Amino acid sequence: MLNLYLFQILNGLGLGMIYFLISVGLTIIFGLLNFVNFAHGGFFMLGAYFCYALLQATGQFWVALVAGPLAVGAMAWVAEKVLIRRAYHLPHTFHILITVGVALILQEACIIVWGPIGKSIPIPETLQGVVIMGKFAYPKYRLFLILFSAVIGFALWVLLERTRFGALVRAGSESTEMVSLLGADIYKLFSLTFALGVGLAGLAGVLSGPIRGAHPFMGPEVLGLAFVVVVIGGMGSFTGALVGGLIIGLVQSLMSSLWPEGASLMIYGAMAAVILLRPYGLFGRA
Amino acid sequence: MNRRSFLKGGLAATSLLAAPAFLKQAYAAAPVTIYGLKSMSGAFASYGRFAEMGSKLAVQDFGPLLGAKPAYATIDTESNAGKAVRKVQEAVQQQGAVFFDGCTLSSTALAVGKEVAKAGGVFVTPAGADEITGTDCNRSTFRWTVPTYGAIHETVRPLAKLMPKAKRWYTITPQYVFGEALLSAAKDLFKELGVEHVGNSYHSMQEQEFSGYLTNAMAAQPDVLLILNFGGQASNCLRQAVNFGLKKQMTILMAWTAGLDQFQSLGPDILEGVYMGAQYWHQVQSPMNIELVKRVKEVYGISPNYPLAADYIGTKVILEAIKKAGVAKGPAVAKAMEGMVYDGPTGKETIRAVDHQVIKDYYLLKGKAKSAMKDPDDLATVVSAGQSFPQGDKILCKMA
Repeated sequence: MLNLYLFQILNGLGLGMIYFLISVGLTIIFGLLNFVNFAHGGFFMLGAYFCYALLQATGQFWVALVAGPLAVGAMAWVAEKVLIRRAYHLPHTFHILITVGVALILQEACIIVWGPIGKSIPIPETLQGVVIMGKFAYPKYRLFLILFSAVIGFALWVLLERTRFGALVRAGSESTEMVSLLGADIYKLFSLTFALGVGLAGLAGVLSGPIRGAHPFMGPEVLGLAFVVVVIGGMGSFTGALVGGLIIGLVQSLMSSLWPEGASLMIYGAMAAVILLRPYGLFGRA
Repeated sequence: MNRRSFLKGGLAATSLLAAPAFLKQAYAAAPVTIYGLKSMSGAFASYGRFAEMGSKLAVQDFGPLLGAKPAYATIDTESNAGKAVRKVQEAVQQQGAVFFDGCTLSSTALAVGKEVAKAGGVFVTPAGADEITGTDCNRSTFRWTVPTYGAIHETVRPLAKLMPKAKRWYTITPQYVFGEALLSAAKDLFKELGVEHVGNSYHSMQEQEFSGYLTNAMAAQPDVLLILNFGGQASNCLRQAVNFGLKKQMTILMAWTAGLDQFQSLGPDILEGVYMGAQYWHQVQSPMNIELVKRVKEVYGISPNYPLAADYIGTKVILEAIKKAGVAKGPAVAKAMEGMVYDGPTGKETIRAVDHQVIKDYYLLKGKAKSAMKDPDDLATVVSAGQSFPQGDKILCKMA
């Protein structure tokens, strides 16, 4: 029995890292731009579809892993220039309205291009198979996901904490006016941050593809999960997304054994508890 | 009276005398409209699109009905029971709608069924909930799909027979009415077959991550993993089970699948060796199915899948019943449908009068290896087919 729970903890860590990747882009965008992106799930879905398309075209998962998020990020950059930046000064309800519209456009576009039936994405050959741990087996691909997400998390931390770009993003999240007055091109910063955040959603979509496939209606489910993580961690907090993702992953995995029917419910239970105890999230600011 | 006045008067009188005949002819020529209740948007839009193709084709290929070509109109249920009911009410009140086919979601079908019964119409649905032809049955509602009882009996029983040494079964079940009904039927059958039920993991309706439940299954070390969820959840559950290497550790059975479109989505790498229950399979060699496959390929360029075939036959049965009744009135058509025997996609199908349940085959399929596939849709082979339905006291329908 102990082995079961130890295994569920390992599984929970793996899930948590996936949830971190899904939600970190959302929190970065909200942190700097104070913009609520309800199209985040749609861009995640697009990442999964790009992974499928690139695999079909090249047969190389690693090409999809690099090109997929870049393509999603590039689309986000264009969307920010054409549409999103016009809504920055508007209340959050307008952000929601616009981005829900974008999400629907993405969903219908995927149906037009790839049809209403979902697609399966194979695990790359080198990562196929499982690692046997007693009577349990853990997929090699999920182990890769844990490591890869940790590397991406570290790279993001370096980018945000140790580079001029990161310093500007962090300063911008405190006061955009001040950063602008100091001579930084704030709109360029906004565009890059939006593209980075959405590109991370695309990366999460590519990486989740072999686990969940690509389906035109997967966006809303992922969006809900990303918001739970961000609310737990604190809106705009990078560390919060990591800790929030891990908490949700562990709660979900452990509850699958302790109280299976309540595993999904407890995700929202954890969120409710955090809201009650720390209304701005574990690492959020008032 | 001059000649001009006489001619005018005569023409007027002739017109007046002939009016009833013209009116009667005009009335008879008014086309019968079938209203297709399809999830054209929302979470089940992928099903709705195929279902609409089925209904449209059935109407398009049907000859004259009561003196006119029948017509078809789609009502988008938006995968939402409340919206579907409101739209059905509008169609009944504003357009005089009587005949309805469709509703993928059980909750929508149950709500719509009550509304159509109030209006005295006819409603044929492929939805899964047992209540449709069970405790919530009514005079207007008919159901094509085999309910949970048959789905379990026609999958678990033949697989247990095929693998007599597989005595330990584990289940993964969605915790709502549909899942509970499948689980309850499975538990009863396990007892009858002397099979040990070594555990069950319930999950919520929103769940898409199954690794935790699959870990529970691994810990129980069963011979067979019985997956009792449906649609996207079943696909993700199976995909993740294969990722975790469960296919090599145990036999996997999905009792209720959506058929070809779901299999196309999963692909042969995942499906190979997996057992699956299905309401319809395009390779079944019944005379009507051979024709249907040919026609669907001609018109849409695809092989028919479950939503397409189910809504095709549902619509066709309504049209046949109107023809049999000779009048486009709900109660008369419903009466004509009771006990009706017809050539369906699964062979001879009968509408049981006592609960309006269509008695038809349910299939146990096995996923093929990619190398064994003759064409891209040749994803599974039929292992067994049969009919299992509640009988006698177990029929819970009390028709008012």
